Amino acid sequence: MTSARGGLRAGLFLLAALTACTNDPYPAADAGKKLLYLTFDEPPKTLDPQVAYSTIDHLVIGNVYDTLLEYAYLKRPYTLIPGLAMQVPTPQVLPNGKVSYRFRLRDDLLFQDDPAFALDGEGSKTRQVRAQDVAFSLARIADPEVNSPVFETLAKIDGLREFSERLTKLRAEDPRFAQRRIDEQYALAGPIPGVRVAGPLELEIVLSESYPQILYWFAMPFTTPVPWEGVARYDGREGRDLFSEHPTGTGPWKLVDYDKRLRIALRRNPNWYGIRHPEWRAPGATYPETGESGDAAAGRLSPSVVGRALPFLEGIEFRREKESIPAFAKFLQGYYDASGIIKESFDRVIRNGELSPEMAAQGMSLSKSVLPATYYLGFNMDDPVVGREAGEQGRKLREAMSLAIDSKEYTRLFTNDRGIPAQSPIPLGIFGYEEDYRNPYRQVDLDRARALLREAGYPGGIDPKTGAPLKLSFDSPDTSAAALLQYQFFVDAWRKIGLDVSIAATSYNQFQDKIRRGAYQIFQWGWVADYPDPENFLFLLWTPMGRTHGGGPNTANFSDPRYDELFLEMKALGNGERRLELIREMRAILERERPWIELFHPESYLLTQAWLHNEKSPGLSIPTAKYLDINAEQRAELRSAWNRPIRWPAYAAAGLSVLLIVPGILTYLRERQ
Amino acid sequence: MEPYVLSNAVAVGLLAGLLWALVSARRSRVWRDAGRELLRRRPIALTVFLAYVAIGLLDSLTWVSASSGGTPQGDSVSLHKPRSTIDRLFPDESYREKSYSAPLADREFLGGAPLRHPGRHLLGTDILGRDVVYQTLKGARVALLVGGFTTLIAIPLALLFGVAAGYFGGRIDDAVFFLISTLASMPSLLLLIALIMALGRGPAQVCLALGITGWVSFARVVRGETLKLRELDYVHAARALGASDLRIVLRHIVPNLMHLVVIAFVLTFSGLVLSEAVLSWLGIGIDGSWGRMIDQARDELSREPIIWWNLVSASVALFGLILAVNLLGDAVRDILDPRTLRERA
Repeated sequence: MTSARGGLRAGLFLLAALTACTNDPYPAADAGKKLLYLTFDEPPKTLDPQVAYSTIDHLVIGNVYDTLLEYAYLKRPYTLIPGLAMQVPTPQVLPNGKVSYRFRLRDDLLFQDDPAFALDGEGSKTRQVRAQDVAFSLARIADPEVNSPVFETLAKIDGLREFSERLTKLRAEDPRFAQRRIDEQYALAGPIPGVRVAGPLELEIVLSESYPQILYWFAMPFTTPVPWEGVARYDGREGRDLFSEHPTGTGPWKLVDYDKRLRIALRRNPNWYGIRHPEWRAPGATYPETGESGDAAAGRLSPSVVGRALPFLEGIEFRREKESIPAFAKFLQGYYDASGIIKESFDRVIRNGELSPEMAAQGMSLSKSVLPATYYLGFNMDDPVVGREAGEQGRKLREAMSLAIDSKEYTRLFTNDRGIPAQSPIPLGIFGYEEDYRNPYRQVDLDRARALLREAGYPGGIDPKTGAPLKLSFDSPDTSAAALLQYQFFVDAWRKIGLDVSIAATSYNQFQDKIRRGAYQIFQWGWVADYPDPENFLFLLWTPMGRTHGGGPNTANFSDPRYDELFLEMKALGNGERRLELIREMRAILERERPWIELFHPESYLLTQAWLHNEKSPGLSIPTAKYLDINAEQRAELRSAWNRPIRWPAYAAAGLSVLLIVPGILTYLRERQ
Repeated sequence: MEPYVLSNAVAVGLLAGLLWALVSARRSRVWRDAGRELLRRRPIALTVFLAYVAIGLLDSLTWVSASSGGTPQGDSVSLHKPRSTIDRLFPDESYREKSYSAPLADREFLGGAPLRHPGRHLLGTDILGRDVVYQTLKGARVALLVGGFTTLIAIPLALLFGVAAGYFGGRIDDAVFFLISTLASMPSLLLLIALIMALGRGPAQVCLALGITGWVSFARVVRGETLKLRELDYVHAARALGASDLRIVLRHIVPNLMHLVVIAFVLTFSGLVLSEAVLSWLGIGIDGSWGRMIDQARDELSREPIIWWNLVSASVALFGLILAVNLLGDAVRDILDPRTLRERA
């Protein structure tokens, strides 16, 4: 009798467990909180702001470290607004031809609370942010031991390179010097003339040449103020963290859990100026009041957020998802707030470029954004057949080849229509992009291409020297089947006008070797903007950037004296009428000379849940979490609606096992009698 | 000399060699009986295999016919290229589409635009609109090339080393066995990849790499058999009569290894075709092989709706050849292996 009751109790317990069970992967305590849930597949390589360069690194660092300048959230083309600085500085040309920028930091900025500040005195938990901290960051960029990837670019700062050399020399000469505290080392290596701390909050940056794009670098984490205490304390010795895993920042969020295998958790930083001083209504801590034409329709300008103090969320949770399919499944269950679209489900999620009805019915929305990037085919202008040497003949050949490539068809076949055909190197969202500009050589016109080939001396594609179709080679470092199919698309297009292009796909090393020797004809490449300025695209065709001779990114080895002249003038100008004129003239040169066949500007599709508000894909890897808002109640409701446990299989299985056991028990009882 | 002339010469040479081997085998009673027995036991497998060989041959002989008048419009590139009979059966003008289409469809798979040549594609078209039947047929030549050409590299190597080790013994045996053990102890796939990286990409290089790694196991068998043969009475007699080593090896040892060679040839063949498919999947195979087709199609399986025809065509073609060759191989072994002969008797 007792055992029967025990069995009943166990059964009831099981039933209770079944009813309570859920597939919610998060702790119940977080249920009602305004936390943003996102995924990462590969953990950040480093959280050192002077070193980190990859997208996932910036995803964390950008939220933890604030920058002196920021991008306006809703505006396109991208526009700089003040962040930690009081305003966006204007360049001053000094009498000696150098250019100076004066930054003034906001008063009363604090670093996040961190035990490292105990180095300033017992019990000290934080400290004011001073101009000296920005100077310290710039010195770190020059420090060869930090190995910052942007040193070469920022070496335009007067004296930065000399400082780097002095530091190396001092360390090599005196082993005791290398033992000193890091800020003392920098102080002893002497001042950097281009980085002048003019007051506790005043910083003057002097460039040895005009480079207006320097301001964009102050909107990236490389130049964020870093406290020397953090670098000095977190050296990885005696059980202390490494600085590359323990950020000590100034941003709206602070890192509370950093488990690279599983979870990266950020929570509000109470020391952030936006939280401590909402009355400042600082541009970097207030939701913008105006945006682009589409923003209001997309619900990004609702009265409940406009002009309000940031941030809206309590924190951000990044969860590691190594495999894309389970990550997407969890997004569909409501456990992630935003997701890219995996290849496997693309046709299910997107119909004719729009969200499929099933997905739309769940309240999800699709946000498309054209990335500031350009994919292109390039010709090696040093080549005797397709390049400069061939003169008029080569130019017409390039023009004809450009007319044969159908970008629209290419994106349809290979990128699920994600991308807009490119007309010039400058992508949408960057100054100098003009929507109604049509490049006459980027329209598909095979008849005109054939006519041009005839004029070039290759009638019907036949090379008069051999009597056979002109042989060209498409050089590539990618030998994967998927890539070869894409190259075959171009080869087939050129075949239509009678050109015999063969694919020379080699290993990456062999390709690099070909590039070094200049032994290549046609290649495919892409460029993603570091910062939203036309200079960052047009410099890819500037003579001093030549690949074969200078090792620069001008793989086409394009060189045109007029273009170079225009480039130098354009580069030094701010966005305006004159600059647009120059860009148009440069574009006309590229249009005629065709060193590139511009293919497309890629488009990224992001799915967001109904409860996530204000989302606008930035394209550049800049932090936007502080602008986002979440309706936590709606999320909780929908999550539980989408994840109702289906219990009947469990009951059915239990019933079935009873059915199987009962005859056994009956037989046993019968046998006993 | 144009490369296609050379490859035609090689194809003709191989064919002539094969015919010569068949004709000379017919003269010996043992081989003639074995041939008859094979035909009796495996008529279907033999027919299938010969069909693959016929397709491969049709695709191996190529010629240029540009003399058809200067036609600057249209596809002048392929007019100037050496093309085989198979290429000529599937001209772009009447078989090329813009992108995917399902077997026998009359609309494009993506977007649903009408096809240029509706209903003509028995197995559909691939992402670039190429006919899948055509590509599958083209794969036969590559498979035969890999299987046949590579065994022609591997078997002579195995015979040379195996016979030398078995017949001379001593230091030579030690040296050869050291080589065999070294090669056998390396993971063969890694060795293959390393060799292809060193030799470069291309059909000849892949065959060479497969040949270099493929002779080891057969060389062991040859050595063992040679050890046995050299102690036989007629070899002793030949030596006592003052015959040179070379003569003994060529007259008395090698001919008695021929049944092993035939067995090894058939068994290695299918293994090599499969190895090439694996290499293609790793991205270092031969253009136009079935392995390459499978590699290209791997993303298509996870699409929704699924695109299956590329993968299925290549896999079935590969499977058909391997199955036929394996069935033939089993039969050949049963017929030629003295041990099974004895069991049958």
